[in-house]
Amino acid sequence: MRAWLACCVFALLFFTQSHASAQPTQRTVTLWHAYRGAEQQALEQLIRSFERTQPNVRVSVLAVPFDAYASKLEAAIPRQNGPDLFLDAHERVSSYRARGLIVDSDAVLDLARTEASGAGARLSASDVFEQVSLDAFSANSHVWGAPLALKCLALFVDEALYVRAGSPPLDELESLSAFTDGRLGEGVVPLVYYASNAYFHAPILHAFGGSLLDPADGRYAFVGERAERSVQFVTQLQRDHVTPQELDGAAVSQMFRAGKSLAAISGPWMLGELGDRPVRIVALPRLRQTGQPMRSFVTVEGALLAQHAREPALARALAAFLVRADAAQVRARVGRQVVATRAAWSDPALAQDRTLQPFLRAARVGLAMPTHSNMRLAFEPANQALRRALRDPAALRVALEAGARRFAVGTRPLPPASNPLWLQLLLGSLALTAIYRTVQRARDPVFRQSVRASRTAYAYVSHAVIVVGLLVVSPLVVGALTSLYAGRDGALSYVGTANYREILTAQGAGLLSSGSFYAVLLVTVLWTLANLVLHVSIGVILALLLSRTWLSLRGIYRVLLIVPWAVPSYVTALSWKGMFQRQTGAINAMLHMVGVEPVSWFASFSTAFTANVLTNTWLGFPFMMVVTLGALAGIPQDLYEAAEVDGASAWQQFWLITVPLLKPSLLPAVAMGAVWTFNQFNVIYLVSGGEPDGGTEILVTEAYRWAFTRQAQYGYAAAYAVLIFGVLVLLTRALDRVTQGPARPKGENS
Amino acid sequence: MWQRGYHRAVSSLSLRGIRKTLGANAILKGIDLEVPDGSLTVLVGPSGCGKSTLLRTIAGLESPDTGVITLGDRDVTRAEPRDRDIAMVFQSYALYPHLTVRENLAFGLRLRKEPEKLIRARIEEVSAMLGLDTLLDRLPRDMSGGQRQRVAMGRAIARRPKLFLFDEPLSNLDAALRNQVRVEIKKLHATLGATMIYVTHDQVEAMTLADQLVVLSAGTIEQNGPPLTVYAQPVSRFVAEFLGSPSMNFLEATVAKDTRTLRAEGLSLTLDPARFVSLKPDQRVLVGLRPHDVQPALDGPAMLTLAIDVVEAMGFEAFAHGHVAGSHFIARLSSEAHALPKPGDTLGLTLADDRVYLFDPESRRSLARSVP
Amino acid sequence: MTPLQRPPPLPWRMAAHAAVIAAVGFALYPVLWVVSLALDGAQRPSGRALPWPVAPSLDHFRAVLFAHSREGTWLFARQLTNSIVVSAMTALTAIAIATPAAYALARFPKFVGAQSGTKALLATQMFPGVASAIPLYILLDKLHLLDTQLGLILVYATTAVPFAIFQLRGAFESIPKDLEEAAMVDGATRLQAFVRVVLPAARPALAVTALFAFMSAWNEFILAATFLSHESAFTLPVALQRHVGEYDAAWGRFAAGSIIVSLPVMALFYALQKNLVGGLTSGGVKG
Repeated sequence: MRAWLACCVFALLFFTQSHASAQPTQRTVTLWHAYRGAEQQALEQLIRSFERTQPNVRVSVLAVPFDAYASKLEAAIPRQNGPDLFLDAHERVSSYRARGLIVDSDAVLDLARTEASGAGARLSASDVFEQVSLDAFSANSHVWGAPLALKCLALFVDEALYVRAGSPPLDELESLSAFTDGRLGEGVVPLVYYASNAYFHAPILHAFGGSLLDPADGRYAFVGERAERSVQFVTQLQRDHVTPQELDGAAVSQMFRAGKSLAAISGPWMLGELGDRPVRIVALPRLRQTGQPMRSFVTVEGALLAQHAREPALARALAAFLVRADAAQVRARVGRQVVATRAAWSDPALAQDRTLQPFLRAARVGLAMPTHSNMRLAFEPANQALRRALRDPAALRVALEAGARRFAVGTRPLPPASNPLWLQLLLGSLALTAIYRTVQRARDPVFRQSVRASRTAYAYVSHAVIVVGLLVVSPLVVGALTSLYAGRDGALSYVGTANYREILTAQGAGLLSSGSFYAVLLVTVLWTLANLVLHVSIGVILALLLSRTWLSLRGIYRVLLIVPWAVPSYVTALSWKGMFQRQTGAINAMLHMVGVEPVSWFASFSTAFTANVLTNTWLGFPFMMVVTLGALAGIPQDLYEAAEVDGASAWQQFWLITVPLLKPSLLPAVAMGAVWTFNQFNVIYLVSGGEPDGGTEILVTEAYRWAFTRQAQYGYAAAYAVLIFGVLVLLTRALDRVTQGPARPKGENS
Repeated sequence: MWQRGYHRAVSSLSLRGIRKTLGANAILKGIDLEVPDGSLTVLVGPSGCGKSTLLRTIAGLESPDTGVITLGDRDVTRAEPRDRDIAMVFQSYALYPHLTVRENLAFGLRLRKEPEKLIRARIEEVSAMLGLDTLLDRLPRDMSGGQRQRVAMGRAIARRPKLFLFDEPLSNLDAALRNQVRVEIKKLHATLGATMIYVTHDQVEAMTLADQLVVLSAGTIEQNGPPLTVYAQPVSRFVAEFLGSPSMNFLEATVAKDTRTLRAEGLSLTLDPARFVSLKPDQRVLVGLRPHDVQPALDGPAMLTLAIDVVEAMGFEAFAHGHVAGSHFIARLSSEAHALPKPGDTLGLTLADDRVYLFDPESRRSLARSVP
Repeated sequence: MTPLQRPPPLPWRMAAHAAVIAAVGFALYPVLWVVSLALDGAQRPSGRALPWPVAPSLDHFRAVLFAHSREGTWLFARQLTNSIVVSAMTALTAIAIATPAAYALARFPKFVGAQSGTKALLATQMFPGVASAIPLYILLDKLHLLDTQLGLILVYATTAVPFAIFQLRGAFESIPKDLEEAAMVDGATRLQAFVRVVLPAARPALAVTALFAFMSAWNEFILAATFLSHESAFTLPVALQRHVGEYDAAWGRFAAGSIIVSLPVMALFYALQKNLVGGLTSGGVKG
């Protein structure tokens, strides 16, 4: 019967797998991208025309959510399940190259040059493509992607406010400081931009002659005199009220769209959010103080040829097609991209385009984002340093140096490879011991009899054991074993327990220094405790109220109170993050109504932590409430009558009857809740994102950062995971002691 | 309608050498028992004596380590419960909580793929017999304990099994209901004429219901026979003490030189030598006297002297609790005839008939000669 | 009337209502924000305290509901079907795998390996998934289950199994053994007794367990996006996540999509909420 049921389920499943078959006569080239909206529309239009030119070719397009894009590529390409061609930004090229995920695009560029040259003299690559885009993709005398589009920062100016301001020249940033006197209107500021983000700070840094990273040797450079002067400059802008403090990307576009600021520094992504507000876009100005232009980082998107492509020739043809001048014009017109193909701009409409041209000019003076693999590692420490320095100008130098140290931790030399012999010996001897023990036990007749008696039970559990063992336990074991390896970007070598040693000794820094395992553990424990206390107390109070029959409407109340449980947590976590926004969030708007100053929720540990806890309390209390409601239903009512006869007050009844009798049903739920909260990823990652300075990071999110944002140091992340596991095992052991200790229900006082 | 003996298939049950061990505990230590066709056999004993395990072994829910179970002329020792054609009423009633009364009654019949028409007829019969007509569409959780108990019995009856098993079916009912249902079960047995085995720890149920009474103790059958015989001729102190309410009184005494007189402090009894195995002078014995077998010594000499602590007057009778020779002793007094004694009084007692029980203090076996 | 159910004086009752209403407000406020974002023509949250759309329109819902693929497939319908198939199959598979195991743990709690197995099961719940995503991918690849809904279902179902086993074990423990024995005496095989008596008696717990498994599959997108490589095979949350980009997000559409994704789960929740109260505690989450 059970087997029959299982067969049915799986037969049904196989019938639903219809899309797996492919047609043999047609050739299919696969393209992956993470474009959305107009860019996606333009891309699909181009693919249709490509298919028209190649009748027997079908392009299979997959649009992947950005959050899953990198991990999907990394998982799929080495196992030959990846695309033939994919679109990505040039910063990730060095990482892809290091892991052998892509091949060079020299042939594509040749094709493009040949096509562009036509009958005339053969053009050079820089005649066909913007120089900055070639810079971005060049490494080791190869080009690693066919440049499609440029993304960089420009200055957005509100047309109406600009006219009201008397159309001043905008070639120097400091000229905006003339408008701090409120003549633009109540609450209108001259400039908004995401000052605490290193990407947005980079143009100013560059104007001071500084850089985030030495492009040649990948040395962290956001430290020292030039960096300090660039930050001081921004501090001065904020002191002079040229630009407000504590803005993030969302707040910038919100304020600008609402007409609350004359200018904004932002990228092309803000275009879609302006609605029909008239806007003038210009290239970033100079700094009067240094006389240097603000050179934005330029990110170049390109078509990358995947390793292990099934249709490499078609992939090259498709890439060459996408960068053709006419295709680029479609991308520019429909997708509103700042295309890298020079010839595309000869189109008269595009040559006059008031949106794209300023971006093109900005990109031409910009700096290609360094492709050194350290670049991605530099942003996290640089952002933290910048935020701290802007919040506390007195600690400027300290903050910048802390950033440099943090960078050094991320790029520390890999531990030396050791011989896996010891591991093999250890595992081998463990296995031998286990076998020996089993054989010993198997000889014991009592044991044999109990095994024989267990056979019925084995028939019931066998398939669960197999499936869970295969799909849950074995990946976990493999994952745990990776903790003995180290390496960046997926190239792993065996290092023994070096990862654990580094984590447990806090990499030589103070044991409780920010970001150390112990500091994060402390935050995690605090986080778990705070949540549990709130979940249980709110859950129990509400359940007590809802269990009263005299409370009218309690059915409706209960339905409404379960809502947080029923909505997917990533949706509500993002919603809460929005509500905690300093400038645009609903929480500060509410505080404003009662006359409280707006709070920068993610600027200090206590408020960021509070925001996380508030969000998770919201998510978690319904579960406890429902469990308590169920448990309350199991308490015999006559106990309360007996207690009342005995003269117990309501308060005494609660402590002497309700609490002890709730305990047995609540404790398991609390234990479960503790484990869930301890590993609650979504809330921390989506709400505070570890702000400020990684201070509210918990162990799981820290592990995630090592795995996915710090050059994919899987071994290190796996060691974190194993340690989390260890801590949780100890924690539940302790909880078990509490549950099974002397604290038995002692409520039968009647 | 229901007629006595609705099935004439022979449904006697015979157990031979049933042993059962769970872990290190021997639960049943060799049970031999014949249950005649159409009888109501009651297994009685204190908790832990193995009576429930024996019943579950008969049902096939436990399988014996050794021994043979024969139902009718079939060896069912290793048969599955469903192949034994038995029905069981559980202490907890075990009504299927997701099924209505009607569906509960029909459950076994449906499993056996009986035709719907027959099922409907049976349900009608059973509900008429047990007065379940108005409850048929209710769920078990919407009924009282007494109603559930009826449904549990109805479910067994509807099946018309060879053998009915009852596992303490009345223990979850209140006293008044228990008495009422007990009588109903007795009537039911008379109506159906079916073979029934009934497990209880309550000696009133055991005495009133049984055709055959089986007293179990620590995994063995202590005594087996018609209830009045067992009551009158207990083979051991255990059986004697277990049956009868209030329990039999026990006093230690010594046989006098004449081997016909027993003596102890406050006690002097002369025995009918024909009733007992030969007693030796100075032999120590345990004297058993039922509270109902003593009466105040009004004219003759007192055989024992009771120092009264408490008197319980029940209206038509009274129980005097007190001490004889340092042992706790209860005497029944018929209250209408005499003024009741008071606490602190001493009361001379004599025997109503010659109902004295003697036990060996070591082996605790009866010393009576005519033990069956 | 018992002491707890005797109505207190009016001020107390009002205070109780006030407390519950405050909690309801707390529970609904962020959800109302999502609703207002979804109904607002603009793409951004506005800095206001009241969740009320500035320029109400149904554009976002239209955009989400009527998205079509390049080939002209009605993506929303397709992905909704995918989500329903994957989640329902996940729930069924998880229940099918967990039920017998939970039953064995409840009825034969002392079989050899029961304790260590339970501990191992509990341990899987404590190991963060970060480390196992890539090994899982390799495994599915080896089993040729990558890019199939079957593979996704297996992964979801097995991750749901440990919790389901704990949940159901508690439920089975609370069902008296007498019931099965009565059924067996009445003529059922052990299996019939299990299917016709034990399972129906455990219905509330089964429903709740299935709901949890369903929800975990319904809301997951990282694994789905990593394992599936055809847009027509994507589940709804993957499509929903497509509205969140590297630099920005289409908040309106994301919110509209969120509401659409949440509605079926909420409907199930309310359909099962009575069971939820009973099913979680009738021995429920015994760890």
